[in-house]
Amino acid sequence: MAKTEQAKCTHHASELTSKEESLPLVTKTAMAEKRRSGGSGILSDSKPAKPETDTEFLSQAGIGVLLRGALLKLVEARSEDPIGFLADHFGNLASESENGASGCGDGDQGNSTEEHQQMTRALWHLRLAHHSQRSAFNNNVRIAYELLVQTRERRRMGGGVRGKIYAELLRCLCCELEVPESTAAPLLCRIQCHDHEAVPFELFRQGVLTCAVFSDYVRKSQSLYAAVCPCPETPAERALCQAVLGALGDALDTSHCADSAHYLEASAKIAPCKLAEAMAMAHNPGDTQTGPTMEPQEFEEAAAALFIARVRLMS
Amino acid sequence: MNAGRFTLTVDEFLAEKNVLFYLEDAVNQLLQHKEEYIQFGIVRYFAEYFRSVKSGSHILFREFDYVKATAHNRASFIHIFWRCFRQIGKNGDLLATMEYSSLLQLLCPDFPVEMVQKAARIVLMEDAMDCPMCFADFLYAFQIQFYFEEFLDSIAVIYQDLLSGKSPNTVIVPTSTSLEMHPQLATDDIAAQDGVDSSLFCSCIEALCERYKHEHPAKYAIKEILQHSKCMSFYGFLMALAKHEGISHNIGSLPKKGDLLFDPLMDQELEKLISQLTISPASNSSSSGPGQKEPLRKASPRKSLQHRKRIEIESDGSTEETDSSEN
Repeated sequence: MAKTEQAKCTHHASELTSKEESLPLVTKTAMAEKRRSGGSGILSDSKPAKPETDTEFLSQAGIGVLLRGALLKLVEARSEDPIGFLADHFGNLASESENGASGCGDGDQGNSTEEHQQMTRALWHLRLAHHSQRSAFNNNVRIAYELLVQTRERRRMGGGVRGKIYAELLRCLCCELEVPESTAAPLLCRIQCHDHEAVPFELFRQGVLTCAVFSDYVRKSQSLYAAVCPCPETPAERALCQAVLGALGDALDTSHCADSAHYLEASAKIAPCKLAEAMAMAHNPGDTQTGPTMEPQEFEEAAAALFIARVRLMS
Repeated sequence: MNAGRFTLTVDEFLAEKNVLFYLEDAVNQLLQHKEEYIQFGIVRYFAEYFRSVKSGSHILFREFDYVKATAHNRASFIHIFWRCFRQIGKNGDLLATMEYSSLLQLLCPDFPVEMVQKAARIVLMEDAMDCPMCFADFLYAFQIQFYFEEFLDSIAVIYQDLLSGKSPNTVIVPTSTSLEMHPQLATDDIAAQDGVDSSLFCSCIEALCERYKHEHPAKYAIKEILQHSKCMSFYGFLMALAKHEGISHNIGSLPKKGDLLFDPLMDQELEKLISQLTISPASNSSSSGPGQKEPLRKASPRKSLQHRKRIEIESDGSTEETDSSEN
């Protein structure tokens, strides 16, 4: 799959560049004028010979390679917004090369801004594909991992992403996935590493995946609360919330089955009729909204705790 | 989340958002302005190019062929046209077809007059073609005409065939050449008639939609429009398309009609300018050439602010005026 995609991209890129051979040079005179006016002084330093034809220019400037690389990345990531992806991709490349040229003598400060940039780019890659598109997601996780390792390797240390960077990445990822900080904190606390530890790829991938799944889970739990809550202004009845949380906990507690049966059992346990049953049992039709209530925040954290308790740690 | 893109082939995926079209144009532009962009940085140039495509400002001052090349370009152009000239709507000015044409040509120098005339025909239902139109009426008609140009041309052919009693199944999607064979179609013949049977028209248009993939107004909207009457005239139909909020929402370029002239940011900016003008008229007049031009130009918004209420009433009246020609 990857190979054929690469072949196609290469084909597209060469098509793009070879088309230019036949292009009429509309602005040739204008360009000649510009040359005479001395605007190319900077150019002559970097390029030894002035390109004569468009093809020569394109190959000298490495446009084919540049576009091929961009198309490959795009097809690999299958971004939902290809144009935005290309804008970001070229933007990343440009700021990288600009920093590479200017930021050499900056010492520590240069390193930290570079680290920050790699982090931003790693996060960008992680957000490109939803985790349910597992192969694209894994691919992007790999790219992000390579980016973060690179920063570190330049500091001449052993393999893997540093624990501190890993923890920071997961924190930012949860934040970007709109998980409230207080809800995410217990999870991050559970899966974080020591600052000095080197995180291998598989652990890194599991950590990122856990955060991505967790953000979906939190969103579901929020809609669950909204379903229990009769109107958005007042908090939901505590007994109902506890019944729903109980059903949710039950559904998550199906690890004794084999894989596929486990999914079926879990979804049966959280089916609307089961939830309705649990809520009907908890709800006392006699009293009208006078019982204790539960705030959305508390519900969310309780639901999150159910999830976090089931996160297994890798050794 | 739309996950369909993961099952497309590479070519389909790239074609969906016209990635190769934009890449090709980017390379062309680069070649035309080599010297400038080399100094600017080639990678940075590509980044800026795609950023502008994303933001929709890429079509400004480009040739017409480029502006109409993709659905995104068309939507961007409609959006920019609205943003640039909505002050006209605020002032309540009524403009004639040629004046709108001139405005469009400020943004796209080779913008064809025919397109503007077609849009004007939707507003004016063909009578009195030199009649001035209010900005909002023209804008929504222009949106439909420009965004769905090919589709509307095909509908014109279908309509004509239905009028002359031909079987709708033999209708062929017109190519550019067959279009040129029916130039008068959109003008004289069509409006002269009272209309065609709505349900038959509707089923023909639905069949047409199949052939146009995405480049047609939503089917539910078309059905909604044609359900209301037994008989539908061509321009009656186009007018209804232009006024349909769902269709405009799907294109995504323009707000609802009520919000069309609502622009608090611009108003703030204008207030600021006006207060500057009233505080320091002396400093303005003592400044150099371009500075002197400024206050003159800003004087008209000032008038528009003071007379906002009156103008809005005027504008409403004009809408009704142009609307009434529908019946």
